[in-house]
Amino acid sequence: MKRFFLLLLHEFRLVRSTLPIHIVAVIEPAVMYALMTVILVHPTFDVYIRQSDDNATQALVAAMEEVGSPIGLPYINPVLVDLDEPRNVRQVIVVEDRDSIPTAVQRYNLIDQNLVKNYRNRLTAAALRLWDDELDGYAVTVEEYPSGPRDIPYNVYFGMAMLPMATFLAASMLGGVLTAQEFERGTVMEQRLASASPELILAARLTRLAITALLGTGLVLLATGLINSYWPTSLVLVGLILLPVAIMGGCLGVIVGLVARTTLPAFLVGLVTSFVGWLVGDAFKPAVSVGGWYEFFSRLTPNTYAVELLFPRFYGTEMGSAATAALVLTVAAFGMLALTALVYRRIIYMRA
Amino acid sequence: MGEVVVSLDGVVRRFGKLVAVQDLSLEVGAGEIFGLLGPNGAGKTTVINLITGLLRRDGGQVRVLGFDPQTQARQVRRQIGLVPQDTNVYGDLSAMDNLWHHAALYCDDLDAAGGRIEELLRLMALWDRRNDPLRTYSGGMKRRLALARALLHDPHIILFDEPTLGVDVQGRHVLWEHMKTLKSRGKTFIVSTNDMNEASVLCDRLVIIDHGKAIALDTPEALRASLGRDIITLHTAPEIADPESLFDGLDVQEVARPEPGWLRIETKNAEARVGEFVSRVSTQHRLESLRIARPTLDDVFLHHTGRALRE
Repeated sequence: MKRFFLLLLHEFRLVRSTLPIHIVAVIEPAVMYALMTVILVHPTFDVYIRQSDDNATQALVAAMEEVGSPIGLPYINPVLVDLDEPRNVRQVIVVEDRDSIPTAVQRYNLIDQNLVKNYRNRLTAAALRLWDDELDGYAVTVEEYPSGPRDIPYNVYFGMAMLPMATFLAASMLGGVLTAQEFERGTVMEQRLASASPELILAARLTRLAITALLGTGLVLLATGLINSYWPTSLVLVGLILLPVAIMGGCLGVIVGLVARTTLPAFLVGLVTSFVGWLVGDAFKPAVSVGGWYEFFSRLTPNTYAVELLFPRFYGTEMGSAATAALVLTVAAFGMLALTALVYRRIIYMRA
Repeated sequence: MGEVVVSLDGVVRRFGKLVAVQDLSLEVGAGEIFGLLGPNGAGKTTVINLITGLLRRDGGQVRVLGFDPQTQARQVRRQIGLVPQDTNVYGDLSAMDNLWHHAALYCDDLDAAGGRIEELLRLMALWDRRNDPLRTYSGGMKRRLALARALLHDPHIILFDEPTLGVDVQGRHVLWEHMKTLKSRGKTFIVSTNDMNEASVLCDRLVIIDHGKAIALDTPEALRASLGRDIITLHTAPEIADPESLFDGLDVQEVARPEPGWLRIETKNAEARVGEFVSRVSTQHRLESLRIARPTLDDVFLHHTGRALRE
């Protein structure tokens, strides 16, 4: 045990020789998440409506305040403004009297069609409430049945889906670079004649990679929680779910480092596989909701199975088969461990 | 030579069509400093790698304290320490950190490792710099640390590839003294070098290797004496046109002209007979310079191969 901890301590000391890469691997995903929540996701709860004392405007504002999401949270926050045109805001609603018919006119600023859709849906939801009252039983009645018990902002899904990527990125990138540097520096020679077993040496490296990767993932989780004031039900479970992802990333990094033996390719392979795995593996929405070839390729990444296991921790409802996802991640992690040990023995210990 | 601790018998190693080591046989005795002397590419590092088991041999036998490094690698590793040609250390870490890592990889008794580390750092005069990052060390200090590292698990045999490569003159002598001290404590060294001065100063016995073959094997003194000749170097004006005729009857083994106006004469017992040479030269020439030297290992190499050691 003492030998393992000495080797583990040495692994952590190597931070000194790879500090910039550690910063990139550990901090970058959290920074990227924070930036992307600002750039990509536009909350549309605030709906701007021109302030007026007329009955139609008052009725529309009241209807907006009554409309909730199917799972309880407010859906529209009417913001009264003194604007006819959307200057410095994304949209504004002006209630006009057109031939004695109250007309809600919504004008948009420079926004994309997705945002237009969101604002239109909110106006329509409020308007349905007014029509329902007005038509006295002959209106369209809308019934909604959510699949989950909570309404959670998209930012939270986005952050949740980034957790496996952050884990894999840190483990694979650092694993590749640290291993390649052993060859570049020549310190791999020490391992070749060592009495310590290769499995013990590998265990120390992979343990350190897993710890570092989970630290980086923790930063993404922290960013997600602080930005959205929303936390998973169990941090320990989140860590356990991501542990096999960390092991797989670390194994891939070590293998790439052993084969490439130079830093740059090892770094790039870790970076590219992490991002591709993220994009293909439930990054923006569950792959099961897309289906087809996308879902097929997503099933080849650990990200998809990790997201399926993380989903209940955040949304309180199942997505896919948790048992299958856990089995796949566990088997894949053990498989990668075995492969890494094999490659390590072959490259380090086989005589030329 | 004492008990044989390392033996090679008819060892062969090929790299494709290149035969790096050809039918090499030698024995190393306990407590001696044994040298592998030869030019770059002679096969010295290959021999070291065959002894450690890092390379697989294509023929012959290697034994390290009775164990075969190819089939009994674990037993051999416990008995040897390797200082490779390139000083491979973790430059951002301190000497203590580097040695503790090595201890974790090599030492059976980790509880005693702390004391051993201090003992070796003090022996190598590095204790005061133990917490400084190795990138601040000089070349000589790094080589001393590499030697300390190789000794950490108390091996019987230390293989030292180019001990003073990249080390200044002062550092070389310090390192040589440390090696002699360790030898006096019972350690056996196998040293590869292409520095004849280092081989002469350090080695109890040495083998001269060229193109993977053993050219000669003996003590440095015996190898020099084996030529059976001394060197007289003289400079005359005018240049001696026909030295063979001029020195006829003086038992000249070989004459060469290293530079215009200079003659290099190989003969026996030069000190006793230099007067005769001076007398012959003075009849028709003015003697500008005269020097008598014993053969060097370079001369031994030249004699056997027709090439200088550093060509």
